[in-house]
Amino acid sequence: MLQFDILIVGAGGAGLYAALETSKRKGLSVAVLSKVYPTRSHTGAAQGGINAALGNVAPDSPEKHAYDTVKGSDFLADQDAVELMCEMAPKIIREMEHMGLPFSRLKDGRIAQRPFGGASFPRTCYAADKTGHVMLQTLYEQCLKNGVKFLNEWFLLSVVHNGDRVSGVVAMDLRTGGVHGIRAKAVILATGGHARVYWNRTSNALGNTGDGTAAVLRAGLPLKDMEFVQFHPTGLRRTGILVTEGARGEGGYLINNKGERFMKKYAPEKMELAPRDMVSRAIETEIMEGRGFRDDEGNEFVYLDLRHLGRKKILERLPQIRELAIDFEGVDPIEEPIPVRPTAHYSMGGIDADKLGRTPIKGLYAAGECACISVHGANRLGGNSLLDIVVFGKLSGEDAINYVSEIGFAPFDESEVKKEEERIDSLFSSDGKEKLVDLRSELSDVMSYGAGIFREEKRMREALEKVREIKERAKHVKVYDGERTFNTNLQQTLEFLNLVDIAETIVLPALERKESRGAHYRTDYPKRDDENFLKHSVVERGEDGELRLSWKPVVITKYQPEERKY
Amino acid sequence: MEKREVLFRIKRFNPKKDEKPYFQEYKLTVPKGMTVLEALQQIKDTQDPTLAFRAFCRSAICGSCAVKVNGFPKLACKTQIFNELDKFGTDTLTLEPLDNMEIIRDLIVDWDKPFKRMEEMKPWLVPDPEVVPKTLDEESRVYPNELKKFDSFTDCILCTSCFSSCTATQIDENYGGPFQLARVYRFAVDPRDALKAERSKIGYAFDMWNCVRCNKCADVCPKHISPVDGIMKLRGLSIDVGLKDNPGARHVMAFYKSLLESGMLNEVLLPLRTKGIKGVLENLPVGIKMILRGKAHSPVMKPIGEHETLIKVMKAAMEVE
Repeated sequence: MLQFDILIVGAGGAGLYAALETSKRKGLSVAVLSKVYPTRSHTGAAQGGINAALGNVAPDSPEKHAYDTVKGSDFLADQDAVELMCEMAPKIIREMEHMGLPFSRLKDGRIAQRPFGGASFPRTCYAADKTGHVMLQTLYEQCLKNGVKFLNEWFLLSVVHNGDRVSGVVAMDLRTGGVHGIRAKAVILATGGHARVYWNRTSNALGNTGDGTAAVLRAGLPLKDMEFVQFHPTGLRRTGILVTEGARGEGGYLINNKGERFMKKYAPEKMELAPRDMVSRAIETEIMEGRGFRDDEGNEFVYLDLRHLGRKKILERLPQIRELAIDFEGVDPIEEPIPVRPTAHYSMGGIDADKLGRTPIKGLYAAGECACISVHGANRLGGNSLLDIVVFGKLSGEDAINYVSEIGFAPFDESEVKKEEERIDSLFSSDGKEKLVDLRSELSDVMSYGAGIFREEKRMREALEKVREIKERAKHVKVYDGERTFNTNLQQTLEFLNLVDIAETIVLPALERKESRGAHYRTDYPKRDDENFLKHSVVERGEDGELRLSWKPVVITKYQPEERKY
Repeated sequence: MEKREVLFRIKRFNPKKDEKPYFQEYKLTVPKGMTVLEALQQIKDTQDPTLAFRAFCRSAICGSCAVKVNGFPKLACKTQIFNELDKFGTDTLTLEPLDNMEIIRDLIVDWDKPFKRMEEMKPWLVPDPEVVPKTLDEESRVYPNELKKFDSFTDCILCTSCFSSCTATQIDENYGGPFQLARVYRFAVDPRDALKAERSKIGYAFDMWNCVRCNKCADVCPKHISPVDGIMKLRGLSIDVGLKDNPGARHVMAFYKSLLESGMLNEVLLPLRTKGIKGVLENLPVGIKMILRGKAHSPVMKPIGEHETLIKVMKAAMEVE
């Protein structure tokens, strides 16, 4: 059996930062397991930037960054974790800069910063509109330099623990199809988000299917604040592909069919740079009330207008956005406005972890989008996710080093490997009465209907029932490809089953949270209710397979809840 | 909305089962706006679940889905089917795996070779203590014009399209490869790097002079990078650090000398200056033919008109570089 002191699952920003941290400690055996070649990870698709109070453009401080983050979170974030993250931000930015990250620069050679939604100052460091891409490349280069071991194109199947300590994971080598147990003293999950639950309209990669989150749920461990899913205001009309908030940070306008900058009605001060939850609701409201546009295919949208920025600025600061608009919408933003609509984007909720990434199981960590620390609470600010992943990737790596140096391997129950083999075998021999494609699409539709941007009791109840029905029907999905080498039919099926598990954990707490907070907006309870719901939801799967919901207090240090105005 | 009936010829191969690759045909009704990746997924969903290909971000940034479309490497996710059909004047699209790598299955190739090669070439910053601060209280200063020198090369998404179409890679096992050499150049001109122009020695060790400047790497790059440009500049750096005693460098120097002398390329002296007597002997049969047909000029050439101006231009160009 493969065996490592520390196994990191996922090779995006969080996984690679954890790997870098652990690679500094000599004598430890560490491996990074990823279902894609590391530089394919979805961190690379982050465009706009990463927040840190460097104060290079305007005076700023970590305290102000923390306040903006807490306010943006609609006061659901744990403030001790937010303070830690914002305090570490300038140093970790410089650390990556010292590794060679090619940030865009000011004339005097310092790192440039741009305005972003919900921030009081230009605080977002960037590399044109490819910040995540160059970050991922830089971290990967440094991992190569430090000789980090990678298991590329391996797929996580389950997390193994004994109720107290983690023993390792079961994973499949996609190239051979072989199912293997991997022993580890510590496992750091950095498996990314799960917005692919909204399959038909999301900015996420095809593989952002919450594999780690679902494995943790199946292992009987808690997920937190799962009802909070961020819809990014500006996804491309047809595909939902992301158009960075940086486009509005650089001065882009949102325009309705009356030619108005409609954000003035919703956030008179911040306008287009209000937090994402507000801007997304504003766009949907405009469309619902007949002030949007509609194309021949029936797609509804508003316009993101960049024309007034001028050719030079667009080419210099937003070259990738221009190219995406041309390739996917046939629109050159220099000449024409870009048709956009909100798109499922980011999972605020995830694996319940503390500010060092620790879960209730010793040696099991979660970092990055798969984790809920929580620093984003009910709504994440743009530019804070790239920060979150590197800070908590680093911290969980550090803590894991300390943990494994004092402890041996926990026993690994080999029947866990067998269990996963049997689960896979059953997919080959299922009756095939249901089709993967149809169920995946149905799941997406019902989640958008019941747990989308606007929510209400009746629709959520219908959605919960429908999700449970899909879960039953999913037992009839069959894998038709009988080969083991790179069986993407099998992989897509396993990913879909993860999405089904996760969907239920989103709807259940959404139903019970009878208030509106951040991205969770209920038309039947349009106000925030701090008295009853200033708390985290926690979902676990019991032995009987049923979900159990409980609540957990929010950590408040110095920022008392107040009304959120922009 | 406009729709077309399209025939997809897709190369299939499972080394475990098949003796050799073969083409399988699928018909699909394609609406305007559909990409090659969407078509592949639709074929997989509705006609053949066994079809194997890679895909991830579907927005041209992860580099997973490069395949050959009618012979040319493309990112499947951003390639509009109608555009390809119109360009080739056809209703058939041929999809194949990339070249210069082993096929694992169908359109999935083995990336180990190109990526291991990149690793061997030290694709990471070695911080220069003169430029990179020792503590995390400060950032290094990199001025916008310095960033400009290497910025475009940091766009590389490792899709291996250039590697697939590289002529030198086909014939030279030791050749570094286009995206790999371009990355060496990226670090060589990063002011924060300690190795700086010395990195060109890595390029030299990996046969950068074997690049034949066919320009295919630049033509196929979905991110509009020109690896060949980086390779040419890396060659220049290698001459700067004194790697002059090799045919590649001598060849370039011969061009340079020729221009300084007369403003014209002295083709008669070129073999001698590049490869010495060996070069002369190698080129002798061709040389004799050229003389007999009146195609050869005298080894002594008269300077062109305004030769002085040319030299000024050359000097100015070198200062800019």
